[in-house]
Amino acid sequence: MYKNKKTGIAGIIVTLIILILMVVITNINVSNVSKIENIASAIVMPIQNGLTYLKNKIAGNNHFFENINHLQTENEELKKKNSELEQSLREFEIIKSENETLKEYVNLKDKYKAYSTIPAYVINRSIDNYSSTIIINVGEKDGIKENMTVIADAGLVGHVISTTNHTAKVQTLVDTATAVTSTISTTKDTIIVQGTLDDSTILKATYIPTDASLLQGDSVETSGIGGIYPKGIHIGTIKEIFTTKNITDRYATVETSVDFTKLDTVLVISSNQ
Amino acid sequence: MKKVFVIFCLIITFFIIYFLQANFFSWFTIASIKPNLFIIFVLLIGLFAGKKIGVILGLLFGIYLDLLIGRTIGISGILLATIGFLGEYFDQNFSKESRLTIMLMVVGCTIAYELIGYVYHTFRLSLHFEINSFIRIVLIEALYNAILVIIIYPLMQKAGYAIENTFKVKSILTRYF
Repeated sequence: MYKNKKTGIAGIIVTLIILILMVVITNINVSNVSKIENIASAIVMPIQNGLTYLKNKIAGNNHFFENINHLQTENEELKKKNSELEQSLREFEIIKSENETLKEYVNLKDKYKAYSTIPAYVINRSIDNYSSTIIINVGEKDGIKENMTVIADAGLVGHVISTTNHTAKVQTLVDTATAVTSTISTTKDTIIVQGTLDDSTILKATYIPTDASLLQGDSVETSGIGGIYPKGIHIGTIKEIFTTKNITDRYATVETSVDFTKLDTVLVISSNQ
Repeated sequence: MKKVFVIFCLIITFFIIYFLQANFFSWFTIASIKPNLFIIFVLLIGLFAGKKIGVILGLLFGIYLDLLIGRTIGISGILLATIGFLGEYFDQNFSKESRLTIMLMVVGCTIAYELIGYVYHTFRLSLHFEINSFIRIVLIEALYNAILVIIIYPLMQKAGYAIENTFKVKSILTRYF
């Protein structure tokens, strides 16, 4: 494919750049467009500011070069101050992250007071593209058993499918193999939500009763039917409703309340108190 | 002794690839789709070390992956072992010297691996087929693997020939008159 070593390396570099661009472009969030605006602004605005400054100086200020020595000392002092501030900022960031983790635990514990829970960290995620399982750092020795429910601050995460002594495998809500019987909190209609291959934040709600009136934004929670998930755990909100010719086939999409891409801390419900 | 050392190196490489796949490639994705480095790795073993080593290591790596993160034990092992077996078939019928050939082998293996794996999971767990989404995932994954082959091809060749020199005895043809 490549005629000599140099063009071979160039080819690899070009491919690598293309790959990075593909990764960046395909993962871009629409809400992040303002960042592009910021970048565009960052390129032009400093020059624009400088030009305006120059224009103002030339227009009526003669003291432009007078205080260079003074500015240099001031600059040194500011640099020193800046490095001190950066140091404190780093310390602050560490304390903040510790605080957030602890808060998360406390919030979780408070929110699910009715249940006896075991806190855990997510230590691994599935490596393929059509399943969504996670590994948590608690196992049989911590009292974890199969089919225990796993929750996070925002709502339901999934259930334990297997355990080792110190880890447990959790099948998440967004896995295509998961189907949860749930209720719409306002109308109390029962539906079934299950994971899809399309999106890791979207569930498909099916078996919607023909007389049920769904509304965008309706809250969906576990119904307690099925024996795995306790009743009343928040799953997500109705995002879109799709009507079909046959009303029994209509379905809706549910946006999960838990962000599975950023899931770090969870609680395993060991029993109802 | 050299063979044992090379196998040990391959096992270490497997773990490095595992950590890369689980950490780096879980966020360095194309449209949220991860590549599958294990397919490239086992195909490389099959191509250069032969079907025996390819099948054994493919099977062991697959079973280990299933134990670690999978839902069913065995399917990844069987599929990776098949790729290891196919490696030698590819070696006998196609040239390993061409980057394009290796890319096509990887694309073919990725599509076959994911298709069989998906059909198996869907039937076993009685799920609905999501054909459109699956085709999208497989095509992006195959493309991603092909791009990775372009990038790591020189490394693959170097490592591959080192493996080949260890496992495949070159027979010297003497001339008979």
